[in-house]
Amino acid sequence: MAAVLPDQVLAVPVRRRALSTQPRRLPESTWGYLLILPAVLLVLGLILYPVVYSGWLSFHNKHAYLPIETFIGFSNFANMFGDGEFWRSIELGAIYGIGSVGLQIVVGVSAALLLNETFIGRTFIRGVALFPYMVPTVVVVILMKWILNDAYGVLPYILKTIGIGEDILWLDTTHVMLTVILISTWTFFPFVVIGTLARLQTIDPELYAAAKVDGAGVVRRFIHVTLPQLRNVLFVVILLRFMFMFTKFDVIWLLNGSSGVGYYTRTLPIYTYIKTFGQLQVGAGAAMSMFMFLMLVCFAMVYFRVFRRDEDI
Amino acid sequence: MIDIDWRQVFSQIALYFGAALIALVCGFPLLWMVLTSVRPDRDILTATPKFWSFDYHWQHYVNLFDLTDFHIYFVNSITVAGSATLFTIFVATLAAYGITRFRFGGRNAIAAGMLFTYMFAPILIIVPFYILMRSAGLVNSKLGLVFAYTTFSLPFSMWLLRAFFQSIPLDLEEAAMTDGASRPKAVALVIVPLALPGVIAVSIFTFIVAWNDYLFARVLINDNELKTLPIGMDDLYNATVTDWGMMMAGGVVITIPALVFFILVQRYLIAGWGAGAVKG
Repeated sequence: MAAVLPDQVLAVPVRRRALSTQPRRLPESTWGYLLILPAVLLVLGLILYPVVYSGWLSFHNKHAYLPIETFIGFSNFANMFGDGEFWRSIELGAIYGIGSVGLQIVVGVSAALLLNETFIGRTFIRGVALFPYMVPTVVVVILMKWILNDAYGVLPYILKTIGIGEDILWLDTTHVMLTVILISTWTFFPFVVIGTLARLQTIDPELYAAAKVDGAGVVRRFIHVTLPQLRNVLFVVILLRFMFMFTKFDVIWLLNGSSGVGYYTRTLPIYTYIKTFGQLQVGAGAAMSMFMFLMLVCFAMVYFRVFRRDEDI
Repeated sequence: MIDIDWRQVFSQIALYFGAALIALVCGFPLLWMVLTSVRPDRDILTATPKFWSFDYHWQHYVNLFDLTDFHIYFVNSITVAGSATLFTIFVATLAAYGITRFRFGGRNAIAAGMLFTYMFAPILIIVPFYILMRSAGLVNSKLGLVFAYTTFSLPFSMWLLRAFFQSIPLDLEEAAMTDGASRPKAVALVIVPLALPGVIAVSIFTFIVAWNDYLFARVLINDNELKTLPIGMDDLYNATVTDWGMMMAGGVVITIPALVFFILVQRYLIAGWGAGAVKG
């Protein structure tokens, strides 16, 4: 709602004459800095400082509880790159990230296109479509464990009744990655719906009318009118979704924890957590967080370089 | 003769079929959770799940509150999420007001820099964050959690409030101050009420961040007395043979506050999404 206001309102200059009817000793800029100080301190102290500290830790051998803290140079990184489990976690992370983001985008954009049409009960269905996103993750995971339960679960029963996927054990070692991707898609696709739907509603109907006059069918109208209009919003949504999914911890951990099955979904965030809080190697964990951080920065830079056009955003 | 446009009919059928599918896929799991939570065990633990049954009771809810520490987790979650929300609103309002009403060097750079940290996932900093909290003596304390949630919701909250404050004309507070109101009074009585949708959106956003968080609570909290719902629930699930009826009852209780808040601010949240992530 704020976004629709004209920019002129935003650019109203601060008029000191009228504002300084109260006696004030401090200059304007000092007030500004003072007001923003608590926010800046919190972000500096609890987000940016930890990132720097993480960099420092990654060059040290540090135990989680014992007072061991020695500088070991690049050893943590050398060990990390020599660790087969580390590369495996990157591979699993890529499968999870690409799989779940891809599905979220396909399902989310399809649902948004459908919810943008006019039909009876649209408001209700729009509300229902946002449900999965507001259910707390811990509930989503326990609920899905119940629905997929091999003895009493309702989904295996339904699938058996309609005759597909009868004997799939959803939570065994071969299917658990697929299951965690599907669960993540279920709970996060509404994020894509929200963004896409908001944009669809602002597309000028005349564009469609013009395309119709030119004889474009449904498919061509989607490709030549809708998709280009969605480009900007999808650019941001895909970036954010990928950032979030690549660093996703709770869904995967809650589903499998440190159990044996969990080995088959041990993505980089999970492996980092296990290294730090399971094996108590804080330095090694910090090296992995730093690597994850650098990977994301590189990804974002490449992503911007490849997909962003200057006239777009 | 009636001329039927079959393409039209077909697309209408497809449309309603798709809508029904969305409703089913998104709604059914939650309906199933509610149904399971009010059924006796003999209707829950059956190889052929019952879609219709006529025997309902509240026993699972009673057990949840009587036999487990769920009520402790619930109170802890309310306390932590509530404090984090109030704290965030206070800090974010100050910052957004400072940025929109005073000129100072680097204010836009600071705003942009803060927003950039919105992309930082908790897992990236959980290792040093834990060490930091431990040396500050904030491990195993609700205060540590409040700090974590406040900090993580601040960037987005500040950005959203900034957009709202920018849209409020300066004349209004000038008028209030000319009439003799002090600046804090003008802000509290004129600006905040006008930016109320933004303040509400920020509250919900922060509340849900705190209400849902698993990672910070898992790492920072050990005492059973201090656990919040996500870790308390996870531990209940892992503790014994799963009592599905009770687990689903817990799921319903945890979901309701998030659901209610979400429905209340759905409009504002989508507006905020537009103001924040898309237009920027």
